[in-house]
Amino acid sequence: MEDTEDKQKTFMGKEYTLGKDGRKIIFLTKDEFLPFMKRLKESGFSHLSLITGVDRRDYIEVVYHLHSISTNEIVVIKVKTKDSRVPSVTSLWSSADWDEREQYDMMGIIFEGHPNLKRILLPEGWIGHPLRKNYDMDTPQYVNMDEDGEDYVTFDSGDGW
Amino acid sequence: MAQVTKTGELGIVTTKLDEAMKWGRSNSLWPLTFGLACCAIEMMAVQASHADVSRFGSEIFRASPRQADLMIVAGTVTKKMAPRVRRLYDEMPYPKYVIAMGACVIQGGPYARGYSVVLGVDRVIPVDVYVPGCPPTPEALQFGLITLQKKIRGETNR
Ligand code: SF4
Repeated sequence: MEDTEDKQKTFMGKEYTLGKDGRKIIFLTKDEFLPFMKRLKESGFSHLSLITGVDRRDYIEVVYHLHSISTNEIVVIKVKTKDSRVPSVTSLWSSADWDEREQYDMMGIIFEGHPNLKRILLPEGWIGHPLRKNYDMDTPQYVNMDEDGEDYVTFDSGDGW
Repeated sequence: MAQVTKTGELGIVTTKLDEAMKWGRSNSLWPLTFGLACCAIEMMAVQASHADVSRFGSEIFRASPRQADLMIVAGTVTKKMAPRVRRLYDEMPYPKYVIAMGACVIQGGPYARGYSVVLGVDRVIPVDVYVPGCPPTPEALQFGLITLQKKIRGETNR
């Protein structure tokens, strides 16, 4: 897995920094993201353990933790996005499906190419993405169930809970 | 040693029918099997051998609301879960009782300032006994159960 040129500095041709826990952190631009992920997958990183997002106000950082089961190595991939859009990796790791839906639900990150990008935790119709810094905490939303057992969201505290 | 022959005959106790009903109800409170968050772990501990709630007649956690008398709401009630809790409560037969277990269920607990948690399950269903704690110990839940039994029998709790 190690790169041949300089073991300290680069990993598969990309520069990395070491996190506090000793994991390699690689920053990627949106263009080089998908091809590099494909190379990682092919080189043995078969397990996508986590996708999460960080709201830095000016931009959103999408973080991927990849685990190689054969070498027990973990790399952290970070992508910055200003328009909260990144390409989906569902074609490479199927487990990305629900992870990406969760990040869409909570952070409002749009994963381009995802087969079924809709909310996974909150009910359909919820306004806003709660883990964003600009989420409106002062307008409570309530949930109730209609006759068919489908959830709906309301602003009326008398209609839902 | 004197030998005792058991004949199976019973002595006679006189009571009011009302009192007998209350006595029966309070000592066979069958809870509904469901837990919502970490408090449910303590609820399971109450059922297990160390605390053993079967000493108080509540050992049978029913898997269907139609057979349950008692709903122990154990864990965070989210806004999405609240309609389901209401529906489960509505499906239970009368007489039915509710124990609100833990800070989350009483007033939102650590998530009271969040966006997704109902600020107290008493907004959704009527509550008989509140058991505070985060989570309450199994002993606290047992105390809550005994309190509910006393309430059913019409005794005061001191
Ligand atoms: S009261 Fe505490 S232990 Fe109980 S569900 Fe809430 S956070 Fe968990």
